[in-house]
Amino acid sequence: MIRATGLGVSIDGTRILEGVDVRLDQPRIAVIGANGSGKSTFARTLNGLVAPSEGSIEVAGIDVARDKKAARESVGFLFSNPDAQILLPTPVEDIELSLKAAGVPRGERTARALEELAARGLGDHAHQPAYSLSGGQKQLLALAAVLVRRPRVLVADEPTTLLDLGNTRMIGELLTGGVAEQVVIVTHDLELAARCDVALRFDAGRLAQVGEPAEVIDTYRAAFA
Amino acid sequence: MIPIVIARRTALHRVPAGWKLAGLLVLSIACAIVAREPVGAAAVLAATLLIYAAGGIGIAEWARQVWRVKWLVVLLVAMQAIFLGWADALTGTARIVGIILIAAAVTLTTPTGEMLDAIEAGLAPLRWIRVDPSRVAFTIALTIAIIPVIAQLAAQIREAQRARGVRLGVRWIVTLLVAALRHADDVSDAMTARGIA
Repeated sequence: MIRATGLGVSIDGTRILEGVDVRLDQPRIAVIGANGSGKSTFARTLNGLVAPSEGSIEVAGIDVARDKKAARESVGFLFSNPDAQILLPTPVEDIELSLKAAGVPRGERTARALEELAARGLGDHAHQPAYSLSGGQKQLLALAAVLVRRPRVLVADEPTTLLDLGNTRMIGELLTGGVAEQVVIVTHDLELAARCDVALRFDAGRLAQVGEPAEVIDTYRAAFA
Repeated sequence: MIPIVIARRTALHRVPAGWKLAGLLVLSIACAIVAREPVGAAAVLAATLLIYAAGGIGIAEWARQVWRVKWLVVLLVAMQAIFLGWADALTGTARIVGIILIAAAVTLTTPTGEMLDAIEAGLAPLRWIRVDPSRVAFTIALTIAIIPVIAQLAAQIREAQRARGVRLGVRWIVTLLVAALRHADDVSDAMTARGIA
């Protein structure tokens, strides 16, 4: 469960998000809105990357601002650019790093990392340089590095922005296929948003609408008609 | 480019990373001492060939590694030939190439995770002066991983210059620096999100 109460964020005196009140129990949550509308900032408050200036945010029973460590254990975060998220030279080492951070004993890490890579269809690329993977494979690897820690909630910030149509569909299907108890997808891909159970629309730093994805998407489209 | 670990298991893969790093240190010092004469330099290169062959990496990989540093060889030989003469230039260059080849043999056969653990263990005494060895080791691994990304950013800037028909001259370094700093910001966010920072 995700609950924002009077959530507001100001950075360097600029108000980026204000007065967000929402409770979300649905498993697949889409977040849409124009550039600079505050949707990414909202997503970043969910695992403590951005701290609230006002109000509070609770995810999976954790007050994120109070216990960032617990929040990061329970809330995984996928960025749009996998190059910034892959931290070690090969896929297997990168996944092992996630396991190390999760406190998994050294002896178990390699086997579990290889298992995770195989489950994501990257088994044949485990020892290949990560920079030589395709865009879709890199995003899969970034996702695997998050999912290997079995987060209860997964937040994906524009996860398909840099991908082609095939990879967009593949990542979209994975994200909406029950990889965590709740998945929050910030996206400009309205097809992907339509596959979610609920959609949030942000506008000028405010939560403008919460409801059925089809309805929310129609309102968003109408704003640009 | 820093060589990446070769996937197949070689005899050198089985040697613990700490031993390999210690061996690298000892052999590098030995190279510096032995390779003062052309015969010694030739012996150093022959020894590296032996390490690659006996360690299971193979002669082809040895040749590939030599090819990778071809421009460095040209530069070193040319610079030293001007000031020291041909014999010393070739001897000095062979010494440096020998050390590079031994270092490459270590990185080619040591997964980064093992290397990190060995570096961490080796730096443990630094805890006395409040240096965290795990942070130092991780920083080294992250640097290795980021080199290709920075190279890609540089390639993008070069392409953008060509596409727009402009030449930034040395100012392209500023553009690269800004892009690299932005990337560092993103990496820092990712580290925080992954619970590593």
